[in-house]
This record gives sequence, C-alpha cells and structure tokens, in this order.
Amino acid sequence: MIWSTLKLWFHKLGSPPIFSVFARRVAPWLWAAFFACTLYGVYLALYVAPPDYQQSDSARILYIHVPAAWQAMLAYVIMAVLAAIALIWRIRTAEIMAMAAAPIGAALTLICLVTGSLWGKPMWGTWWEWDARLTSMLVLLFIYVGIMALYAAYDDPRKGARVASVLVIAGLVNLPIIHFSVEWWTTLHQGQTIRIFGESKMDPSMIPPLIWTTLGTKFLFGAALLDRARNLLLAQDQHKAWVRRELAPALDDRKQPA
Amino acid sequence: MIPELNYAPFVWSSYGVFAAVCAWQFLAPLIRRRRLTRQIREQLEEERAAAAVGRPAPRS
Amino acid sequence: MSGWTEARALLARDLQLAFRRLGQTLLPLFFLFAVVVLIPLGVGPGPDLLARLSGGMLWVAALLASLLALEHLFRPDLDDGSLEQWFVGRREGYLAVYVRLLAYWLVTGLPIVLFSPLAAMMLNLPTQALGTLVLSLLIGTPALTLVGGLAAALTLTTRGAGALLAILVFPLVVPLMIFAAGAVGLAADGFSPAAHLGLLAAFTILCLTLAPIGIRAALKTNLE
Repeated sequence: MIWSTLKLWFHKLGSPPIFSVFARRVAPWLWAAFFACTLYGVYLALYVAPPDYQQSDSARILYIHVPAAWQAMLAYVIMAVLAAIALIWRIRTAEIMAMAAAPIGAALTLICLVTGSLWGKPMWGTWWEWDARLTSMLVLLFIYVGIMALYAAYDDPRKGARVASVLVIAGLVNLPIIHFSVEWWTTLHQGQTIRIFGESKMDPSMIPPLIWTTLGTKFLFGAALLDRARNLLLAQDQHKAWVRRELAPALDDRKQPA
Repeated sequence: MIPELNYAPFVWSSYGVFAAVCAWQFLAPLIRRRRLTRQIREQLEEERAAAAVGRPAPRS
Repeated sequence: MSGWTEARALLARDLQLAFRRLGQTLLPLFFLFAVVVLIPLGVGPGPDLLARLSGGMLWVAALLASLLALEHLFRPDLDDGSLEQWFVGRREGYLAVYVRLLAYWLVTGLPIVLFSPLAAMMLNLPTQALGTLVLSLLIGTPALTLVGGLAAALTLTTRGAGALLAILVFPLVVPLMIFAAGAVGLAADGFSPAAHLGLLAAFTILCLTLAPIGIRAALKTNLE
C-alpha cells in the first residue's frame, strides 16, 4: 500500500508538467525553512555559542564550514543516484535533476574551500595548506566543474545530460580513492598541522548551532535543486503547450500594457 | 562584543561569503526564469503576428 | 570471425595507421622532451634541485603528453562511420574498445616508458630511482590511457574538446599521480617503493576493469 503509493508518486514526478507544479509549490517552503534554520543557527553560532577553548572565536567558522562540506559531499551522492536512475531507466526528470545538482554542489564546495582558507589563515598562518580535507575538496570542485562543463559542451541537452551522468558515476567510484590517496599523501609529506577537529571532543554547547546550520544547508540544496531543475525542464520544453500553460500567469500580466 | 578583535575579519568574511553564495543560489534561478519567460513571450507574440497574416508560425 | 582474429585485425590496422603517420604518432614523446628542456630553464639548472623535482616533473610531463593525442582517439572512427560498426549485431563493443586503447597505449604510452630513462638522466634523477621511475610509468601509463580514453569518449561530439579533456582527466588521475610520484620520490630517498607501486597497480587494474564500461556507455550515447 505505502509502497505502491510511493511508486505512483515517483512515476508522477517523472512527468515534467507534474514535476514543475510540484517544484513551484514546494520550493518556496524549502527556501523559507532554509532561511529560518540558517538565521537561527547563525544567531546561535555568533552570539550564543562560547568561544572555543583553543581556537577562540575563529572556531565560529566551523558552523558554516562543516555543514557546507557535508552537504557538498552529500550533494554528490544524491547527484550520482539521480545519474544512475537517469542512465538505467532514462527518466528525463532524473537526468535534469542530476545536472541541476552540479552547480549547487560546486557552490557548497566553494563555500567550504573559502571558509577553510579563511580559517586556515589565523590557525595555520597560511591561506592554503595542502591538508588532506582541503585538497580532496579542491579535487571535488574540479569534478563538479568538469561535469558542468561537459553538460554545457553538448548542443543537445539530453545527450549532454546522459554523457555527464557517466562522468558522475566515474567520479563516484574515484572519489573515495582520491580521498584515501590524498590523506596518505599528506601524512607522508606534511609535518604537524593543527587538527581542526580530529580527536578532540566537541563541547556540547557547539552542537545546537551546528545542527541548525546543517539543516539549513539541506534545505538550501533541496530548494535550489527544485528551482534549477524546473528551469531546465521549462527551457527544454519551451515550445510545448504545458510550459505555456504553466507560465501563463507570468506571460499574461506583462502582455496587458502592450 | 561578538568575535574577538583579531579573528573578527576572518569570521565575518566567512559568513559574508556564505551569505553571498546562498543569495546567488536563490537569485540565479529567478533570473534564469525571468529570462526564459521573456523569451517565450516574444516567441508567442511572433506566433500571433504570423497567425494574423496567415503564415505558418516560425520556430526559433 | 572469432574474437581473437578480429582483435588481431583491428590491432594490426591501428598500428599500421600509426606507423604511416609516424611524425604525428611520436608527437607526445617530443612534447615530453620539450617539457624536460623547459623545466631547467624555468627552475634553474642546479643539479640538487633538479634531482628533487625530476620524479614528479616527469610524471606531470607524462600526464600532459598523454592528453595531446586524445582528441583523435575515437574521432576518425566517428567521422568515417566505423565507430558504429563496433556495436553492430551481437557485438558488445568491448573488444574494439580494448584493442583501440591497447593500440593507443603502444604508440603513445610505451615510447614514453622506453625513453623515460633518457629524460630522467637529463633531469638528474638519482640513479637508484631510475628503475622505479620506469616501472611506475610502465604500470601507470595504461591507467592514463584508460582515463584519457574515458574523457575522449565523453567529449566525442562536443565542440572544442581540447581544454575540456584536460579538465576531465586531471581530477580522476589524482591518485595515480600521488602513488607514482610518491614511489619515485621514496626510491630517490633510498626507501622501498613497493607499497606505492602496489597501490599504483591496483589503481591501474581498477581502471582496466571499469573504464571500458564507461567508455562504451559514453560512445553509445554519443552515437544515438
């Protein structure tokens, strides 16, 4: 019963017009949830949470750096699942969602890298340290950029999406190896660096802001994903009747003066 | 005061970057959709103009 | 025609074509030596500095050289229509993919392996690391060809694939670079490079089994 309902829902979302309506209705709520969680989380992070024992106030960067890193990696996994669905069942909505996930994942990776660098300057005394985590995130950014560039290089967006999906899967296989090899490489080459978290236990007071900002990034990803996927569908089907029906209000109210 | 003096610029610029990227994620789809709507509207007008003189609608 | 005779025929044809255009075929090798000349010009000819840099530099040069001819890996077959024949009938296409990659490695990868000792001596690589360098290239360049082949298949019908190829290949070969250059570095410092070489071989075997699946999927999508 539940299973069949889920299946029906899944199949319905595979249809572009239904997906578009769904995204139009759901995305604003996700944006609202993102703003609420993030504002509350940032308030806790900047005003309520105590300064870290060792790192003082610079540890406040953690509350955005870590959620961004988590979501950047989760975004890749979600993108890979969507790419696999796209390749196996050839569902166009899945193709499009996979391609819509790449720029968001890249943006989150960028947040992680820039905040990591801004954290590194006061902590390590340098903007860039060839630390295992930062290096793998940099490689992840390049993979995201490669996927976006490959998708954009095809004139036929459907072909581009399927080819880029193959790259997404290849990247998924390779990412754990990259992470492992980079970690191995840094332990061989690098002297001591300050471990940002590592073994040290987190103070309980650091948990609530982290939870809220983490939730915020999840909602950010979901909202941006729906928005972007809907746009890609509308653009691909712009000559079809359903797009004109779907955009009718926006098309009409500007027509009046003319 | 919130962050200690010498760490403040780093913390604030981190949150600034975060805010900027989030804002971009929010705005980029809106801008894209507006452009798309304009495109479709122009296409519709062309079609209507073409129908008025009895030509087949051009497809761009 | 059995698989074996078909493979031999395909390989013979590819090699024949490569020999007919020997100048073009050896271009990656010349490129490698061009980089070898540029490195001392860039960082200075000091033998100690060169000895420290040479292992990693040679691997970077080999990676860049392997990118050069990638655009022509499948493109001519696409243009003359023979690429579609790879998947006709009961053929899965894997045989043709493997043979093409083997031929490509024989004409672009193997010369680099063979001439690497010369390049290493020009860059003052410590003698005890010479064997490791050649071995790491022998194990690692097939993986470069396989990952490069994947990138070439992914960009088959795109406009201006050149720069895109480099962007796609670079992140995927990060582990290769680490294991290979690490092995050479350890050998130069007088340690055993066995662990690094083992991991390098593992990476190559993984590419050998998985990359053709992706290559085939990308080629077929491009042919649709």
